[in-house]
Amino acid sequence: MQRRSATSGPAWLPQFCSGPTLFAVMVVAELVALVVVLAPEPQARVVLPRLGVVSVYVQWLALLNAVVLCSLRGVLGRLDTRGGYVVAWLVSLLVTALASAVVCRMDQALGLQLSVPVGEGRRFVFANAAICALIAAALLRYLFVLERWRERVRAAAKAQVDALQARIRPHFLFNSMNTIASLIRTRPAEAERTVEDLADLFRAALGAGEAPGTLGEELDLVRRYLHIERLRLGDRLVADVDVDDLPHDFVLPRLLLQPLIENAVYHGIQPRADGGTIVVRGRRSGDGVEIVIANPLPADAPAKRNGVALANVRARIGYHFGARADLRVEPGPDTYTVRLRLPETLAR
Amino acid sequence: MKVLLVDDEPLARERLAVLLADIGGVDIVGGAGNGREALEIAARERPDLVLLDIRMPVMDGLETARHLGAWDSPPGVIFCTAYEDHALAAFEANAVDYLVKPVRGERLRAALDKARRLSGTRAHELAQAVDPGRTRTHLCARVRGSLVLVPIADIHYLLAEDKYVVVHHARGEVLIEEPLKSLEDEFEGRFVRIHRNCLVARARLAGLTRAPDGRLFANVDGVSAELEVSRRNLPGLRRLVRSL
Repeated sequence: MQRRSATSGPAWLPQFCSGPTLFAVMVVAELVALVVVLAPEPQARVVLPRLGVVSVYVQWLALLNAVVLCSLRGVLGRLDTRGGYVVAWLVSLLVTALASAVVCRMDQALGLQLSVPVGEGRRFVFANAAICALIAAALLRYLFVLERWRERVRAAAKAQVDALQARIRPHFLFNSMNTIASLIRTRPAEAERTVEDLADLFRAALGAGEAPGTLGEELDLVRRYLHIERLRLGDRLVADVDVDDLPHDFVLPRLLLQPLIENAVYHGIQPRADGGTIVVRGRRSGDGVEIVIANPLPADAPAKRNGVALANVRARIGYHFGARADLRVEPGPDTYTVRLRLPETLAR
Repeated sequence: MKVLLVDDEPLARERLAVLLADIGGVDIVGGAGNGREALEIAARERPDLVLLDIRMPVMDGLETARHLGAWDSPPGVIFCTAYEDHALAAFEANAVDYLVKPVRGERLRAALDKARRLSGTRAHELAQAVDPGRTRTHLCARVRGSLVLVPIADIHYLLAEDKYVVVHHARGEVLIEEPLKSLEDEFEGRFVRIHRNCLVARARLAGLTRAPDGRLFANVDGVSAELEVSRRNLPGLRRLVRSL
């Protein structure tokens, strides 16, 4: 997975140095402290002061473990999953035992009586190590399963996005071929240009899953697509495109706009005997861009489109930009408008 | 042989015309951009053969073929399509032929030869082969020899009289020779039965009125005639009116 190559270390071990993970570790540690304090024992003690002492101690142990595991990430990364799992567990066991021994020794030397009386130090260290062993085992196992699950979700999402990769309708290919066949005898130069346009479109469609493209390239593809469709549909298709405000170097997944334009032609222009005008407007909006595509509706339009192309584009912008990207459909009485908002940066 | 070219793309018609000119022996009587236009031209020009695109605005090729097939001495039909459509499977056997775009000259020549041999004989079967699940966008009637196409959306109500059905629509009325029952089945949801002899456009149904003698009449937008509701259809109709 490319995402992981940037941060070396095993997949199953989270970044212990990161804020959210540290916080999670502290929460777990505090729960452990509560369990320890609440456990019934022979001599009743006041709970709150004891909770303070236990919390400080457990938190310290937990953070110590987190820091050690974090700094050992590189080493653990060289082991296989199972080996790394065992080593991480042993390391936390060892760290806890050593830390317990140190604390116990210091406490007894200073006579603070916060841990255990003299002579029971060995039992204290052993008990701490045992508790740590159980909790670390459970926690590591949990993290392992969680990471597995995340990976599966990620792989499924990737597969879905790959499968959804912009497709051009087969009708379009064959109709375009037919257009070219018609043009060859009468307007060979136009036929030549159409072949070039069609080649560019299919090159983009085939490479759509790879590196992202730029808005400038995407607008070029839209222009080529509209050129072919204008030849095919004649006067029935009028395109009113104003996208001069858009930044041409804006990065976005390839072939994101063309399917929306194709949809507009397919549902809005083709079913109308007298055709109509497709309006495309693009502008900068905040730190991103907003692109609006509107088409007229045929008289007897089906109430609901099956929305394959829209679902496809929505899934792709969700995957690439995250929740800040937005594709909104505004069906009117006689126009159908699609509003696409993209934030500045690609999420990945 | 008189041929009519039907395709919503001018360049596609142009190409067919060029190919037909190469083959020779063909007289192109017209070109149409949709099924409705095609029927109008076909009624006037009586072609022997129609080259018919499937996907077109207003009325698609399949429906056009169905209307053509219902005529007396219908023309032969050759479908042309850009991409295989499974809806076509049923038609393939009954159409004279079936060509994919871009059409090859030799395939077109073979299809024309076949059409010369078969002429219109298959067209009736073609009309029969229409998938019963498909609904037409127009009803087709003949008035004194000329063709009248009534868009389904323009129809106010359908009234059965003897062996005919009178189609009352926005611009008048025409007779068609189809049983009311089959119209009801085909356009289920679009028309509602109010009487043994009457179907009313659901979208135009405005309410019910009771006459002094106790009989009930349906109020239909844009219709002044009194349309009686039968006792049998009343409960369903009441529910429908209440939900309006």
